[in-house]
Amino acid sequence: MPEKRKHVLKKLAIAIMIMIALGAGIYWYVATEKFADTNDREAAYTVSALDFIREFEENDNVANEKYMGKIVVVNGRVSEIEAADTTVNIKFINAVSGSYIIFAFQDQHVSDAKSINVGDSISVKGSCSGGTHSELLDTDFIMFKRCAINKN
Amino acid sequence: MKKIQIILLLALVSFSLSAQKKTTTSASIFFDASTSIDALPKATNKTVIAVIDTKTGVVQFEAYVRNFAFSNPTMQEHFNGKKWMDADEFPKITFKGNISDMGAVDFASDGSYKTDVEGMLNVKGIEQQIKVPGTISVNNGILSISTDFSIALDDYGISGIPVQAGKVSKTPKIKVIAELR
Repeated sequence: MPEKRKHVLKKLAIAIMIMIALGAGIYWYVATEKFADTNDREAAYTVSALDFIREFEENDNVANEKYMGKIVVVNGRVSEIEAADTTVNIKFINAVSGSYIIFAFQDQHVSDAKSINVGDSISVKGSCSGGTHSELLDTDFIMFKRCAINKN
Repeated sequence: MKKIQIILLLALVSFSLSAQKKTTTSASIFFDASTSIDALPKATNKTVIAVIDTKTGVVQFEAYVRNFAFSNPTMQEHFNGKKWMDADEFPKITFKGNISDMGAVDFASDGSYKTDVEGMLNVKGIEQQIKVPGTISVNNGILSISTDFSIALDDYGISGIPVQAGKVSKTPKIKVIAELR
Protein backbone atom coordinates (compact mmCIF):
# COMPACT_ATOMS: atom_id res chain seq x y z
CA MET A 1 0.00 0.00 0.00
CA PRO A 2 1.42 3.37 -0.93
CA GLU A 3 2.64 5.46 1.98
CA LYS A 4 0.30 8.36 1.08
CA ARG A 5 -2.81 6.10 1.15
CA LYS A 6 -1.77 4.64 4.50
CA HIS A 7 -1.51 8.15 5.87
CA VAL A 8 -5.03 9.08 4.66
CA LEU A 9 -6.53 5.88 6.11
CA LYS A 10 -4.86 6.57 9.46
CA LYS A 11 -6.31 10.08 9.54
CA LEU A 12 -9.75 8.74 8.60
CA ALA A 13 -9.63 6.13 11.39
CA ILE A 14 -8.69 8.79 13.94
CA ALA A 15 -11.53 11.06 12.73
CA ILE A 16 -14.05 8.18 13.00
CA MET A 17 -12.87 7.35 16.52
CA ILE A 18 -13.19 11.01 17.60
CA MET A 19 -16.72 11.14 16.16
CA ILE A 20 -17.72 7.92 17.95
CA ALA A 21 -16.28 9.25 21.23
CA LEU A 22 -18.11 12.57 20.77
CA GLY A 23 -21.40 10.81 19.94
CA ALA A 24 -21.06 8.53 22.98
CA GLY A 25 -20.28 11.53 25.17
CA ILE A 26 -23.32 13.48 23.96
CA TYR A 27 -25.56 10.39 24.38
CA TRP A 28 -24.20 9.78 27.89
CA TYR A 29 -24.79 13.45 28.82
CA VAL A 30 -28.38 13.47 27.47
CA ALA A 31 -29.24 10.08 29.00
CA THR A 32 -27.93 10.89 32.47
CA GLU A 33 -29.00 14.54 32.64
CA LYS A 34 -31.50 15.24 35.42
CA PHE A 35 -33.59 18.26 36.34
CA ALA A 36 -31.73 20.30 38.95
CA ASP A 37 -33.09 20.89 42.44
CA THR A 38 -35.66 23.67 41.95
CA ASN A 39 -34.32 25.49 45.01
CA ASP A 40 -30.98 25.87 43.19
CA ARG A 41 -32.59 27.37 40.09
CA GLU A 42 -33.14 31.05 39.53
CA ALA A 43 -36.74 32.21 39.30
CA ALA A 44 -37.82 34.11 36.19
CA TYR A 45 -40.77 35.71 38.03
CA THR A 46 -42.00 36.28 41.58
CA VAL A 47 -45.76 36.80 41.89
CA SER A 48 -48.59 36.89 44.41
CA ALA A 49 -51.05 34.01 44.09
CA LEU A 50 -54.18 36.08 43.49
CA ASP A 51 -52.51 38.40 40.94
CA PHE A 52 -51.12 35.35 39.16
CA ILE A 53 -54.56 33.69 38.97
CA ARG A 54 -56.04 36.98 37.73
CA GLU A 55 -53.50 37.11 34.88
CA PHE A 56 -54.61 33.67 33.67
CA GLU A 57 -58.31 34.50 34.11
CA GLU A 58 -57.93 37.67 32.04
CA ASN A 59 -56.03 36.09 29.15
CA ASP A 60 -54.67 32.57 29.48
CA ASN A 61 -52.95 32.68 26.04
CA VAL A 62 -50.82 35.64 27.08
CA ALA A 63 -50.19 34.20 30.56
CA ASN A 64 -49.20 30.79 29.16
CA GLU A 65 -46.83 32.44 26.71
CA LYS A 66 -45.24 34.34 29.60
CA TYR A 67 -44.99 31.66 32.31
CA MET A 68 -45.10 28.18 30.72
CA GLY A 69 -41.88 26.26 31.32
CA LYS A 70 -40.48 29.03 33.56
CA ILE A 71 -39.41 28.79 37.20
CA VAL A 72 -41.81 30.99 39.16
CA VAL A 73 -42.01 31.90 42.85
CA VAL A 74 -45.61 32.22 44.04
CA ASN A 75 -46.45 33.82 47.38
CA GLY A 76 -49.82 33.17 49.00
CA ARG A 77 -51.92 31.71 51.76
CA VAL A 78 -52.55 27.95 51.60
CA SER A 79 -56.21 27.22 50.86
CA GLU A 80 -56.12 23.45 50.64
CA ILE A 81 -53.76 20.49 50.98
CA GLU A 82 -54.65 17.36 49.04
CA ALA A 83 -53.27 13.85 49.33
CA ALA A 84 -51.55 12.79 46.11
CA ASP A 85 -50.40 9.17 46.27
CA THR A 86 -47.86 9.16 49.14
CA THR A 87 -47.23 12.91 48.79
CA VAL A 88 -49.31 16.07 49.11
CA ASN A 89 -50.20 18.91 46.75
CA ILE A 90 -50.64 22.45 47.98
CA LYS A 91 -53.32 24.76 46.53
CA PHE A 92 -53.93 28.50 46.47
CA ILE A 93 -57.59 29.15 45.59
CA ASN A 94 -59.34 32.36 44.56
CA ALA A 95 -62.35 32.10 46.91
CA VAL A 96 -64.49 34.27 44.63
CA SER A 97 -63.93 32.62 41.23
CA GLY A 98 -62.89 29.15 42.39
CA SER A 99 -59.79 29.24 40.15
CA TYR A 100 -56.76 27.62 41.72
CA ILE A 101 -53.01 27.06 41.53
CA ILE A 102 -51.78 23.58 42.38
CA PHE A 103 -48.20 22.61 43.27
CA ALA A 104 -46.75 19.09 43.00
CA PHE A 105 -43.44 18.76 44.83
CA GLN A 106 -40.01 17.45 43.88
CA ASP A 107 -39.20 14.23 45.79
CA GLN A 108 -36.59 15.89 48.03
CA HIS A 109 -39.06 18.63 49.06
CA VAL A 110 -42.10 16.48 49.86
CA SER A 111 -41.33 16.41 53.59
CA ASP A 112 -41.26 20.25 53.66
CA ALA A 113 -44.64 20.31 51.90
CA LYS A 114 -46.08 17.86 54.43
CA SER A 115 -45.19 20.22 57.28
CA ILE A 116 -47.36 23.04 55.82
CA ASN A 117 -50.87 23.70 57.15
CA VAL A 118 -53.96 25.28 55.62
CA GLY A 119 -53.86 29.04 56.32
CA ASP A 120 -50.06 29.27 56.34
CA SER A 121 -48.54 32.12 54.31
CA ILE A 122 -45.83 30.51 52.20
CA SER A 123 -43.66 30.98 49.16
CA VAL A 124 -43.48 28.15 46.61
CA LYS A 125 -40.96 27.85 43.80
CA GLY A 126 -41.67 25.55 40.87
CA SER A 127 -41.81 24.89 37.16
CA CYS A 128 -45.01 26.34 35.70
CA SER A 129 -46.74 23.88 33.34
CA GLY A 130 -49.34 26.48 32.33
CA GLY A 131 -53.00 27.09 32.98
CA THR A 132 -56.22 25.92 31.38
CA HIS A 133 -59.94 25.48 31.99
CA SER A 134 -61.26 22.29 33.54
CA GLU A 135 -64.37 21.04 31.79
CA LEU A 136 -65.06 18.71 34.72
CA LEU A 137 -64.94 21.35 37.45
CA ASP A 138 -65.81 24.32 35.23
CA THR A 139 -62.97 26.33 36.68
CA ASP A 140 -59.57 27.69 35.64
CA PHE A 141 -56.46 26.13 37.12
CA ILE A 142 -52.70 26.56 36.88
CA MET A 143 -50.29 23.68 37.46
CA PHE A 144 -46.75 23.50 38.79
CA LYS A 145 -44.39 20.53 38.92
CA ARG A 146 -41.04 19.90 40.67
CA CYS A 147 -41.86 22.43 43.40
CA ALA A 148 -40.02 23.37 46.58
CA ILE A 149 -40.96 25.51 49.55
CA ASN A 150 -38.99 28.65 48.73
CA LYS A 151 -36.52 29.40 51.49
CA ASN A 152 -34.52 32.10 49.70
CA MET B 1 -93.47 31.45 52.63
CA LYS B 2 -93.67 29.57 49.35
CA LYS B 3 -90.48 31.33 48.17
CA ILE B 4 -88.58 30.16 51.25
CA GLN B 5 -89.79 26.59 50.67
CA ILE B 6 -88.58 26.70 47.05
CA ILE B 7 -85.16 28.09 48.09
CA LEU B 8 -84.80 25.40 50.77
CA LEU B 9 -85.77 22.70 48.27
CA LEU B 10 -83.23 23.97 45.72
CA ALA B 11 -80.53 24.10 48.40
CA LEU B 12 -81.37 20.53 49.44
CA VAL B 13 -81.26 19.25 45.84
CA SER B 14 -77.96 21.07 45.23
CA PHE B 15 -76.43 19.59 48.42
CA SER B 16 -77.63 16.11 47.53
CA LEU B 17 -76.13 16.37 43.99
CA SER B 18 -72.78 17.59 45.32
CA ALA B 19 -72.73 14.84 47.98
CA GLN B 20 -73.03 12.13 45.33
CA LYS B 21 -70.08 13.55 43.39
CA LYS B 22 -66.64 12.77 44.81
CA THR B 23 -63.76 14.78 43.41
CA THR B 24 -60.03 15.40 43.63
CA THR B 25 -57.58 17.65 41.81
CA SER B 26 -54.65 15.50 42.95
CA ALA B 27 -55.15 12.12 41.31
CA SER B 28 -51.84 10.55 40.24
CA ILE B 29 -51.03 8.91 36.91
CA PHE B 30 -47.78 6.96 36.61
CA PHE B 31 -46.63 6.44 33.03
CA ASP B 32 -43.94 3.83 32.38
CA ALA B 33 -42.72 3.27 28.81
CA SER B 34 -39.25 2.14 29.87
CA THR B 35 -37.62 -0.86 28.18
CA SER B 36 -34.58 -3.04 28.80
CA ILE B 37 -32.47 -0.61 26.73
CA ASP B 38 -33.85 2.69 28.05
CA ALA B 39 -35.06 3.38 31.59
CA LEU B 40 -35.84 7.07 30.97
CA PRO B 41 -39.38 7.15 29.50
CA LYS B 42 -41.13 7.31 32.88
CA ALA B 43 -43.23 10.15 34.26
CA THR B 44 -45.76 11.07 36.91
CA ASN B 45 -48.61 13.56 36.87
CA LYS B 46 -49.96 14.25 40.37
CA THR B 47 -52.42 17.03 39.52
CA VAL B 48 -55.03 15.05 37.61
CA ILE B 49 -58.69 15.97 38.11
CA ALA B 50 -61.02 13.06 38.85
CA VAL B 51 -64.77 12.92 39.49
CA ILE B 52 -66.89 9.90 40.44
CA ASP B 53 -70.67 10.08 40.61
CA THR B 54 -71.57 7.53 43.27
CA LYS B 55 -75.20 7.42 42.14
CA THR B 56 -74.72 6.88 38.40
CA GLY B 57 -71.26 5.24 38.47
CA VAL B 58 -69.84 7.73 35.97
CA VAL B 59 -66.04 8.07 36.29
CA GLN B 60 -64.18 10.99 34.68
CA PHE B 61 -60.54 12.05 34.51
CA GLU B 62 -58.81 15.10 33.06
CA ALA B 63 -54.99 15.16 32.89
CA TYR B 64 -52.91 18.05 31.58
CA VAL B 65 -50.13 16.65 29.35
CA ARG B 66 -47.56 19.31 30.27
CA ASN B 67 -47.73 18.44 33.97
CA PHE B 68 -46.23 14.96 33.48
CA ALA B 69 -42.88 15.25 35.27
CA PHE B 70 -39.91 13.29 33.87
CA SER B 71 -36.52 13.09 35.57
CA ASN B 72 -34.75 13.77 32.26
CA PRO B 73 -35.22 17.16 30.52
CA THR B 74 -34.73 15.81 26.97
CA MET B 75 -37.27 13.04 27.53
CA GLN B 76 -39.78 15.59 28.84
CA GLU B 77 -39.26 17.78 25.76
CA HIS B 78 -39.79 14.79 23.43
CA PHE B 79 -42.93 13.73 25.34
CA ASN B 80 -44.58 17.15 24.87
CA GLY B 81 -43.33 17.48 21.29
CA LYS B 82 -45.24 17.08 18.04
CA LYS B 83 -44.17 13.47 17.36
CA TRP B 84 -45.26 12.27 20.77
CA MET B 85 -48.13 13.91 22.66
CA ASP B 86 -48.21 17.21 20.75
CA ALA B 87 -49.12 19.08 23.96
CA ASP B 88 -49.76 22.38 22.15
CA GLU B 89 -52.41 20.85 19.91
CA PHE B 90 -53.81 18.29 22.40
CA PRO B 91 -53.18 19.68 25.91
CA LYS B 92 -55.37 17.17 27.77
CA ILE B 93 -55.84 13.44 28.19
CA THR B 94 -59.42 12.63 29.18
CA PHE B 95 -61.38 9.59 30.23
CA LYS B 96 -65.14 9.22 30.63
CA GLY B 97 -66.63 5.89 31.55
CA ASN B 98 -68.77 3.90 33.91
CA ILE B 99 -68.28 1.43 36.71
CA SER B 100 -69.21 -1.81 34.92
CA ASP B 101 -70.98 -3.43 37.85
CA MET B 102 -72.50 -0.86 40.19
CA GLY B 103 -73.98 -3.71 42.24
CA ALA B 104 -70.44 -4.75 43.23
CA VAL B 105 -69.70 -1.43 44.96
CA ASP B 106 -71.49 -0.20 48.08
CA PHE B 107 -70.52 3.46 48.42
CA ALA B 108 -72.43 3.66 51.71
CA SER B 109 -70.38 0.96 53.45
CA ASP B 110 -66.69 0.94 54.28
CA GLY B 111 -64.83 -1.77 52.38
CA SER B 112 -62.75 -2.63 49.35
CA TYR B 113 -64.50 -3.47 46.11
CA LYS B 114 -63.08 -4.82 42.84
CA THR B 115 -64.78 -3.74 39.64
CA ASP B 116 -64.04 -2.96 36.01
CA VAL B 117 -64.40 0.52 34.60
CA GLU B 118 -65.27 0.86 30.93
CA GLY B 119 -65.23 3.99 28.82
CA MET B 120 -63.57 6.25 26.29
CA LEU B 121 -59.93 7.27 26.69
CA ASN B 122 -58.93 10.29 24.61
CA VAL B 123 -55.20 10.67 23.97
CA LYS B 124 -53.85 13.06 21.34
CA GLY B 125 -57.37 13.66 20.04
CA ILE B 126 -58.01 9.96 19.37
CA GLU B 127 -60.73 8.18 21.33
CA GLN B 128 -60.52 4.48 22.11
CA GLN B 129 -62.82 2.26 24.15
CA ILE B 130 -60.96 0.70 27.08
CA LYS B 131 -61.92 -1.60 29.95
CA VAL B 132 -59.68 -1.60 33.01
CA PRO B 133 -59.75 -3.50 36.31
CA GLY B 134 -59.94 -1.31 39.39
CA THR B 135 -60.25 -1.31 43.14
CA ILE B 136 -62.46 1.15 44.99
CA SER B 137 -62.04 1.43 48.74
CA VAL B 138 -64.59 3.30 50.82
CA ASN B 139 -63.56 4.70 54.19
CA ASN B 140 -65.76 7.20 56.03
CA GLY B 141 -67.10 8.58 52.76
CA ILE B 142 -63.62 8.94 51.21
CA LEU B 143 -63.02 6.89 48.07
CA SER B 144 -59.55 5.52 47.27
CA ILE B 145 -59.26 4.14 43.79
CA SER B 146 -56.47 2.37 41.95
CA THR B 147 -56.00 0.70 38.61
CA ASP B 148 -53.14 -0.77 36.56
CA PHE B 149 -53.38 -1.30 32.83
CA SER B 150 -51.50 -0.71 29.61
CA ILE B 151 -52.30 0.99 26.32
CA ALA B 152 -50.97 0.49 22.80
CA LEU B 153 -49.27 3.70 21.59
CA ASP B 154 -50.17 2.76 18.02
CA ASP B 155 -53.91 3.02 18.90
CA TYR B 156 -53.38 6.72 19.58
CA GLY B 157 -51.22 7.49 16.55
CA ILE B 158 -47.97 7.62 18.54
CA SER B 159 -45.00 6.06 16.78
CA GLY B 160 -41.52 7.00 15.64
CA ILE B 161 -37.93 5.82 15.59
CA PRO B 162 -37.50 5.48 19.42
CA VAL B 163 -40.63 3.28 19.59
CA GLN B 164 -39.56 1.15 16.60
CA ALA B 165 -36.00 0.90 17.97
CA GLY B 166 -37.27 -0.47 21.28
CA LYS B 167 -36.18 2.54 23.36
CA VAL B 168 -39.82 3.31 24.21
CA SER B 169 -42.30 0.55 25.03
CA LYS B 170 -45.05 0.09 22.45
CA THR B 171 -47.42 -0.76 25.32
CA PRO B 172 -46.59 1.52 28.27
CA LYS B 173 -47.87 0.64 31.72
CA ILE B 174 -50.29 3.08 33.33
CA LYS B 175 -51.10 3.23 37.04
CA VAL B 176 -53.78 5.51 38.43
CA ILE B 177 -54.23 6.30 42.13
CA ALA B 178 -56.72 8.80 43.55
CA GLU B 179 -58.34 9.78 46.83
CA LEU B 180 -61.72 11.43 46.23
CA ARG B 181 -63.71 13.36 48.82
